[in-house]
Amino acid sequence: MDKLGQEWVSAAVDGETDEHALAELAADEGSHQQWRDYHMIGDAIRGELPKSINLDLSASIADAIDKEPTIMAPVRRVDSKKPADAIGGSANVIPMFKQFGQYAIAASVALFAVIGVQNYSQQSAIDASPLPVLNTRPLVGSVTPVSLQTGPIQASQSFTNVQVMEQRQRINAYIQDHMLQQRLNNGTEIDDNNKLDSSSADQ
Amino acid sequence: MRLILLALLVFNFPVMAQEELSAKAWLENMSQALREQEFKMSLIQLQADHIRPLVYIHGKIEDQEVAFLEHLNGPPKNAVRLGNTVTFIEHDQPAYSVRANRIQGILPPAFAADISKLESGYQFVLGGRSRLAGRPSQLVRIIPNDDFRYGYQVWLDMESYLPLRYDMLTQDKQLLEQILVVELLVLDAPPAILSEAYKQEWPAVASQSKRDAGDNWTFNWLPEGFEILVKDSHRLMGSHEAVEYIALSDGMANISVYVARVGDTKMPEELVTRNGLSLATEVVGNFEVVAVGKVPTETLTRVAKSISIR
Repeated sequence: MDKLGQEWVSAAVDGETDEHALAELAADEGSHQQWRDYHMIGDAIRGELPKSINLDLSASIADAIDKEPTIMAPVRRVDSKKPADAIGGSANVIPMFKQFGQYAIAASVALFAVIGVQNYSQQSAIDASPLPVLNTRPLVGSVTPVSLQTGPIQASQSFTNVQVMEQRQRINAYIQDHMLQQRLNNGTEIDDNNKLDSSSADQ
Repeated sequence: MRLILLALLVFNFPVMAQEELSAKAWLENMSQALREQEFKMSLIQLQADHIRPLVYIHGKIEDQEVAFLEHLNGPPKNAVRLGNTVTFIEHDQPAYSVRANRIQGILPPAFAADISKLESGYQFVLGGRSRLAGRPSQLVRIIPNDDFRYGYQVWLDMESYLPLRYDMLTQDKQLLEQILVVELLVLDAPPAILSEAYKQEWPAVASQSKRDAGDNWTFNWLPEGFEILVKDSHRLMGSHEAVEYIALSDGMANISVYVARVGDTKMPEELVTRNGLSLATEVVGNFEVVAVGKVPTETLTRVAKSISIR
C-alpha cells in the first residue's frame, strides 16, 4: 500500500471519493485494515467509540452474508437438510419413510382435513352465507339438536364427549388417509397417461 | 382502405378459428398447454372457510416438465415436480417424493391428461366469454351425465388456453371449490427457479412396494365411468386401524372405499364437509364399509352398499 493509496482510503472514509474509486478500494483487500483503522480514528476523535469494539467487523459481515439464504430459499432448505440425511447415505431416507412415512405425510395432509363437519340436511342453510367462519360444532350430541344420523336419535343423544372425540378422530383418520391416497395413487394413473403420451408422440 | 380490410381479415382469422372449436377441443388445448407451455400463475384457492394464495410455475427443461408450487401464506409448503416425480417440501417434516405426473392439490390432474377419458362420465359444453385476470376467456362446462358426481366449469385463456378459473359445483349449482388465477404470465423460457430446481438433487421416490395385495373386492354397481385404480390393505395413519382399501376414479372424482372391522365408536352414516368431501358408512355384519370422496353422499352410500367379495 503506497502513500497515494493511503490517501485514497482516508478520502473514502471521509466520503470524499467517487464510486469508481470506492470499488477499487473494495477490491484491494490490503486497504481494508486501513479502512477500519481510519474509521476507528475518526470515531475516537468524535468520541463515538462503543464500549466494546468488535475489531473484525468486516469479516463478520462477510460471514453473515455467506450464511444468508439465496433467493432459491425453498430449494436451498432441502439442500441444507441434506447433510443430516447424507450421514447415513441417501439410502437412509427410504427406510425412514417406510417406518414413519405414512404418518409423516399425514401431518401435512392434516391441514386439509376437516375441523368441523356438518349435518347434511343443514347444508343449504350454511351455504347461504358466503364463507362462514370455522364450524367447530361437535358431530354428535351436545349443542345441535339434530346431528349426524348416527343411528336413532335416542342413541345419538346419549353420546358422551369422549365418544364424540373418538368419532371425530376416526372420521379424520379416514379423511386424512383419503387425502394421502390422492397423493400416492396419482402415480398409478400416471402410468396410463404416460403410455398415452408416448403413443401419441410416436404417431 | 383495402389495407385496413386486409388487416381486419388477418386479425379476425384466429378468432374465427377459435369460434369453430368444440368444447372438447378447448379442453384438449388446455391439457396440451398445461403440459407444454411455460408460465407463471398466481392464484387463490377458495374452499369453504379456507382461502389459500399460491404460485404455480411450469416449464420445460431438456424435454422434461418442471413445475413448482408454493403456498404463499402460513408455514412454507412447496412442491416441486420433475417429470414423474413430485417432491413435497414442508416445514414439519423432511422432504419426500412420490411418483405423480401432476402436483396434487390445485387443478385436477385430469386437466393435463387425456380429456377423452372423462367422456364416459361427463359432457363438455361451451359457455360464454368473460374477462378474467385481465384476459378474455372462454367458459367450458364439464357436466356430469348423472346425479352421482359433481359438475365443474373452467374458464380458459383465449390466447394460451391455460385455465384462469375453475369451479366445482353441486347439483344445485352451489360452489364447493374455486380456483381463481389473479395473474398469468406466459413465458418464453423456463424461469430461473425451475432451472435451479432441475439441477437440485431430490429425495428418491418412496417405494410403495410394501403395499399388501388386498382381497379380491368387486362392486355390483358403480357409476358409469368409475374404475378401480388400486386395491391394497394398509393401516390408517393416525388411528393405525387395519383396512382393506380400494381406490375408484372416473378421472375427475376420486373415491376411497375402506373395509374394516366395526370400531368401538360408530361412524356417522353420512356426512358432508363444506369443501364437498363426503363420507358414508355401511355396516355389513361385523364389518364397516366407509366410502370417502368428493361426490354426493348418495353415491358413496350406493357404492358402499354394492361392494362384495369375489
